[in-house]
Amino acid sequence: MLFTWFTLAGFIFLFSPKNLTNKFQFAFHRIFSWPLSIGRNISLSAGTRRPLGDVVSRDEYKRLLNHLANVTQQRDAEHQNVEKLAKMRIIPGWEHMGFVFADVITVSIDELRSELILNRGEDDGLVKGQFVLADNSIIGTISDVDARTAKVRLFTDPKSSTVVRIGGSDWLMQGKGGSLARVEMIKSKVKIGTEIMASKRPGFLDTPVIIGKVARCERNAEPLLWDIVVEPVCNIQKAENVHVIVMNPPK
Amino acid sequence: MRWFRFAVLILLATVLQASFFADLNIRPDLLLILLVFFAVYCNTSEAIITSFTIGFAADLIGRTMGPQMISFGLFGTALAYLHHVIAIRKMTYQFFAIFITALLAGSLVYFLNFIKGEPTPPNIYAALFGIALYSALVGPFLFLPSAWWMRIKINRSGRR
Repeated sequence: MLFTWFTLAGFIFLFSPKNLTNKFQFAFHRIFSWPLSIGRNISLSAGTRRPLGDVVSRDEYKRLLNHLANVTQQRDAEHQNVEKLAKMRIIPGWEHMGFVFADVITVSIDELRSELILNRGEDDGLVKGQFVLADNSIIGTISDVDARTAKVRLFTDPKSSTVVRIGGSDWLMQGKGGSLARVEMIKSKVKIGTEIMASKRPGFLDTPVIIGKVARCERNAEPLLWDIVVEPVCNIQKAENVHVIVMNPPK
Repeated sequence: MRWFRFAVLILLATVLQASFFADLNIRPDLLLILLVFFAVYCNTSEAIITSFTIGFAADLIGRTMGPQMISFGLFGTALAYLHHVIAIRKMTYQFFAIFITALLAGSLVYFLNFIKGEPTPPNIYAALFGIALYSALVGPFLFLPSAWWMRIKINRSGRR
């Protein structure tokens, strides 16, 4: 009888709506955020090496490189606007964006899922679909949120689909699990190391922002098409805090 | 059965699994190791309660709620009944018990996730095998400290 009741409870959890069952997971991460952060810090400290004297760390280098890519992209976009000689006043894309700083409670990256849990929620202005930045690059979007906690689905998550800009056209990038994503059936070969920008999305992103770089370019089953494998441009597993892009924040 | 100590042990394992071991690509499943421990060293009704509770804890740090509660509960109960027939006291037997339970429970979790519409990674068997092997290698060594904490007498040489 005990077994039957517990199994029934399990199936109730299995078939309940996700926004209901997420409350249990969020509550656990909120209540135990302190020991979870300590455990994670110990794990990260064990893998960190001190940088040499006159050089910056690899993480800082990646952050600056991403910032350079974003600024270059904005400069090119502004050049196009000036060339068009628009008669109306042009407002740079970043001016409409606000940023909510959030600490990462836990990181879960494996073949089945790629997610973060943040210590900010609806009370801080977060909603589903908002983009999340780490080291000046997009790492994912808010997938679930409650009053004080939010779950970020990374762009490498198998359930993630992100529109990216390659060669002047928009393409759909699908997460493949682990730390990789894939764009399929591209018409031309793309050089390894090419920066991939997330496309603008009205209401969520006003200007393209770097999201990854090309790790591999492979032949598709179709003879004239290519598939590219994209990897992140920052070390997401070591991210201790992130910024959530909030469009048109209240002043 | 000391339920407060059980709760502390499970919470500790859950926090470690979600934080300290989260960065590893292949990692031991502490909750699965504890599942086998309690299935072997408790009576049947306690084994059922502990199995489902451990599964619930695994769901809290998992992708969705439900799959691990069901699979851990099912295989924990089966293991508790199997222990009446085959004594799982020696380390070799514990290794195989953890390994096979990890493979079966992991497969059922992926199947239940598939029913719920969650994506299945292309190389699940490699991931499952790695986690099962790592857990089976580490697990028997964690039985002694767990038994000490739970004040359970264990005798590896045979049946009590």
